[in-house]
Amino acid sequence: MSDVSDVTHDRSVPLPMPRVGPVGEHAPKPIRVVLNWGRRYSLWVFNFGLACCAIEFIAASMGRHDFIRLGVIPFAPGPRQADLMVVSGTVTDKMAPAIRRLYDQMPEPKYVISFGACSNSGGPYWDSYSVTKGVDQLIPVDVYVPGCPPRPEALLHGIIRLQEQIAGERLSGRAIAERLGGAGRLGPADGEGAAAPRYTAHRTGSAAEVTRARVEPPR
Amino acid sequence: MSTDVSTDELHDVAPADWHGAVAAAHATGFTFFDWLSAVDRTYDEAAPGYDVVLRALALQRRDSVTGDQVAGVHGIRIATRVPEGASLASVTDVYAGAAWHERETHEMFGVEFEGFDDGSGSGLRPLLLPDGFEGTPLRKSFVLAARASKQWPGGKEPGEGHDSAKSPSRRRVQAPGVPDPSWGPRES
Repeated sequence: MSDVSDVTHDRSVPLPMPRVGPVGEHAPKPIRVVLNWGRRYSLWVFNFGLACCAIEFIAASMGRHDFIRLGVIPFAPGPRQADLMVVSGTVTDKMAPAIRRLYDQMPEPKYVISFGACSNSGGPYWDSYSVTKGVDQLIPVDVYVPGCPPRPEALLHGIIRLQEQIAGERLSGRAIAERLGGAGRLGPADGEGAAAPRYTAHRTGSAAEVTRARVEPPR
Repeated sequence: MSTDVSTDELHDVAPADWHGAVAAAHATGFTFFDWLSAVDRTYDEAAPGYDVVLRALALQRRDSVTGDQVAGVHGIRIATRVPEGASLASVTDVYAGAAWHERETHEMFGVEFEGFDDGSGSGLRPLLLPDGFEGTPLRKSFVLAARASKQWPGGKEPGEGHDSAKSPSRRRVQAPGVPDPSWGPRES
């Protein structure tokens, strides 16, 4: 029994900071353009569907809207083979550690689209005791798609925006560390050895990090 | 003729008779456990507490008087009012499936169940709430953290905009979970 609870209770595990290969990092501009061009039109997508927005995501992947024509491929076998995560639906505090864990499993470079009001900010459940106030509390988000739920066209627009972003980006280990640094916070459990900020930011989050303490009336 | 569409038998019992009433229902054919939950009635000044309600179904049943087979599925609802802080006898020995419902009722309303046993020996532990959650969120007295820090931008609270002398006291019309005015002004 104790082995099982060790796995399910999400402990904070320090991981090595992912980096870009030296060729990719120091490539001259024409090569970078080609690399980015390949990257933007081959986005294997991992649908983190949590609620009704996931239906709109599925609609966007089907014949009428067909985001495969934009190079978004919805057949990633799992997060470890995906480049883009679309969080569509209501993120709850109970689900939060799982989202963080699967995001951490994705290889760099990785991108996140927050799809719908709930994953942007909590949406209509903004005051619920169990709903996370936006997935950006857990992971860095590249593009927010507003709506409740957004139409499939809105997702297509969000994908095009993300592709524009990818076309202009310059990948470097430092940029990745800075991006992940915004989402990961150091806890006391990380210990002394985890002090260098560049390497500590990337780690799995624990449930306690996203759970708020009980609110008491003022005295 | 009653307008109540439910054909459930309704029983209100004292907390001390709770386990006996549930066991008796099970013995008379209500063998299909439907659900168990609680209702916050702490605002009831005559008997403040939590109404623990159990519903069970009888799929095949004989009339207790004539002994004839009664057609259709029959429901029974047994309710008891548990005062704040008191505990109730667990019915997991009658309906094993009630264990999940008792765990949920315990974490959401803070109602204690004595003699709870789901075969794991781990007792009444949280079922649905995330690790480290403090409080019992379905109690009316539970204040929502988001409401305490920020006002609903639309201003659509019950009673808002009707703040005249004629309206009932503001506290009464306030939605559960919303901090009362004694918390001071919030960011809007």
